[in-house]
Amino acid sequence: MGTPRNGPWLKWLLGGVAAGAALFGVLAYAMTATDQRPFCASCHIMQEAAVTHKMGTHGDRSCNECHAPHNLLAKLPFKAQEGLRDFMGNLAGNDVPYPASASTRDVVNENCKACHARTNVTVASMDAKPYCVDCHRNVAHMRQKPISTRTVAYE
Amino acid sequence: MNKRILSLAVAASALLGAALLSGCDDVSTTLKAPTYKTGIKEDETRISAFKAEFPSQHASYQKNNESEVMTEYKGSVPYRKNDNVNPLPKGFKHAQPYLKNLWLGYPFMYEYNEARGHTYAVEDFVHIDRLNRWGADGKGKMPATCWNCKTPKMMTWIKEYGDKFWSMDVNTFRGKDKIDAMDETIGCANCHNPATMELRLYSEPLKDWLKRSGQDWAKLSRNEKRSLVCAQCHVEYYFTHKDNGPAARPVFPWDNGMNPEDMYQYYKGHGKKDAAGKPGPFVDFVHGASKVGIIKMQHPDYEMFQDGPHGAAGVSCADCHMQYQREDGKKVSSHWMTSPMKDKEMRACRQCHADKTADYLRERVLYTQKKSFDQLLKAQDLSVKAHEAVRLASNYTGERAPDYDALMAEAREMVRKGQLFWDYVSAENSVGFHNPAKTLDTLMTSAECSQKAVDLASQATQYGIAPALAGDIKKIVPPILEMSRKLQQDPEHLKTNPWLQLLPVLPKADAAWDGQERLTSTK
Repeated sequence: MGTPRNGPWLKWLLGGVAAGAALFGVLAYAMTATDQRPFCASCHIMQEAAVTHKMGTHGDRSCNECHAPHNLLAKLPFKAQEGLRDFMGNLAGNDVPYPASASTRDVVNENCKACHARTNVTVASMDAKPYCVDCHRNVAHMRQKPISTRTVAYE
Repeated sequence: MNKRILSLAVAASALLGAALLSGCDDVSTTLKAPTYKTGIKEDETRISAFKAEFPSQHASYQKNNESEVMTEYKGSVPYRKNDNVNPLPKGFKHAQPYLKNLWLGYPFMYEYNEARGHTYAVEDFVHIDRLNRWGADGKGKMPATCWNCKTPKMMTWIKEYGDKFWSMDVNTFRGKDKIDAMDETIGCANCHNPATMELRLYSEPLKDWLKRSGQDWAKLSRNEKRSLVCAQCHVEYYFTHKDNGPAARPVFPWDNGMNPEDMYQYYKGHGKKDAAGKPGPFVDFVHGASKVGIIKMQHPDYEMFQDGPHGAAGVSCADCHMQYQREDGKKVSSHWMTSPMKDKEMRACRQCHADKTADYLRERVLYTQKKSFDQLLKAQDLSVKAHEAVRLASNYTGERAPDYDALMAEAREMVRKGQLFWDYVSAENSVGFHNPAKTLDTLMTSAECSQKAVDLASQATQYGIAPALAGDIKKIVPPILEMSRKLQQDPEHLKTNPWLQLLPVLPKADAAWDGQERLTSTK
């Protein structure tokens, strides 16, 4: 007895799981894709950041490896908020804000520590300067290099 | 309502999708500057011809017309750089009161003003009293080489006259029929190839230098070019003596290096040839009081900057003076070439110094400038004293030291060297900032040389002139505030200052030129 094996409920359940898995796959893919340089650099305004990222030692990491929280619960709203701000700013023709906002600087700095904690276990390297890039200055997109090595007109 | 939300959602997802799709391509790190194929002729010299195709660059270039704003030490009001007595626009608190004394007998004693925007280059040129505007013949008594850094028409004129151009009279090209003061002043064609807008050199002396030093423009980096287009003009130069090449052809004296000592050594040659055919020391003018053969330094901005903290690190002129700015979402180089200190936000600096505030950056500039300017005035005081010492010793009738001639020769050399050194700093337009250490080191050496000149001249007179040099130099040789070609026609004016008395009275003459207007007939 019981419901037939090809009954409508199982179809719905399996269909729902498949749709859910597909949606999850798409979202996971989109989430990863929108972390990365090719997506970020699709706005011209980000060219300088993208070029200096690619030339730098962190070129094989994604942008959001530094620029968004690693924790997924913190990351989702942060990305939504930053994405919206950049979208509006780009529409309004604003330039990249520098220095970066306090929240971005804090997030980036946490991510320095997330990957490089072991280098710094025996030293009080967070005591003297508020940010790691206060010493590792060119990690901040090669800011000390001549302009022509970073950017061109009409970007 | 629902429809609107739906269409917004569709639009947003379409945008996201488009961004994701377009976001498949990674950036290229080759940094290709945009290329152009314009409809503008390659020999175009008028600025207005570029307006239609390059409106935003043209508009930002027009900002060079701003002529009101002063910073602490610089700015765009063309005040008289010797005048610390009168208020702006005639004088300024940070002027150099001894300039007319130190250039006695040279056209710079007539008029020398603070520089302003490129748009005024020809306008200011045809009004400056350094070029003669008096006398029936209408001659400027200066070579046409003076036009070299004022207009892209140089290319036209050199094509037409070749090396004969340089030694023609400057006023030959002065009239409105020869040049349009506002449309043919320093403009697009001085730095750009009109057909492609690529950076290019129009400058004969800089092209000569690249050739002499074995460099090829085509192989230089964009970074180097972003400074070299400025180095066409913002450099020290001299006019070839006819014994050594085409008369008055401009040369950049860089063969020994770009530092003051290098130039001092360079100028031991390249002057008038002696009987044996060997060039003697180069002399720009013989000083009206000391009779020392002087070298004039002119705006050695590039030479000062290139081995300074920014220059040596590869930072170019354009990085600070032509910062990228966004106009209508498009990023273009600012073509307002002026003091970066005018910007309250110091945006040009913060392209690199993003972690600094504008106030902090400004204070660091002033930290150097104040020290440099204070020491510059002291070096100039000592230089005046050195001229006066040599003058007194030359006229000394008391008992002279046995080696008087040798001592005086050395004293004159030290006056010349001391003046070259302070002028290298004075004529440079950053008041030390482009190269703080070189600036202060150069001023110290300048003071040392001038003091040596005083010592040697005193020794040559067995210290007979020492009492005359004791006391405040400003009282012994008062600064000359007023002097012009017109005032030099007036014997009464020349009596107002002990050094002015040493100058000849010029014959009474009517003005031949007012700007580009010929006032007296050519006959």
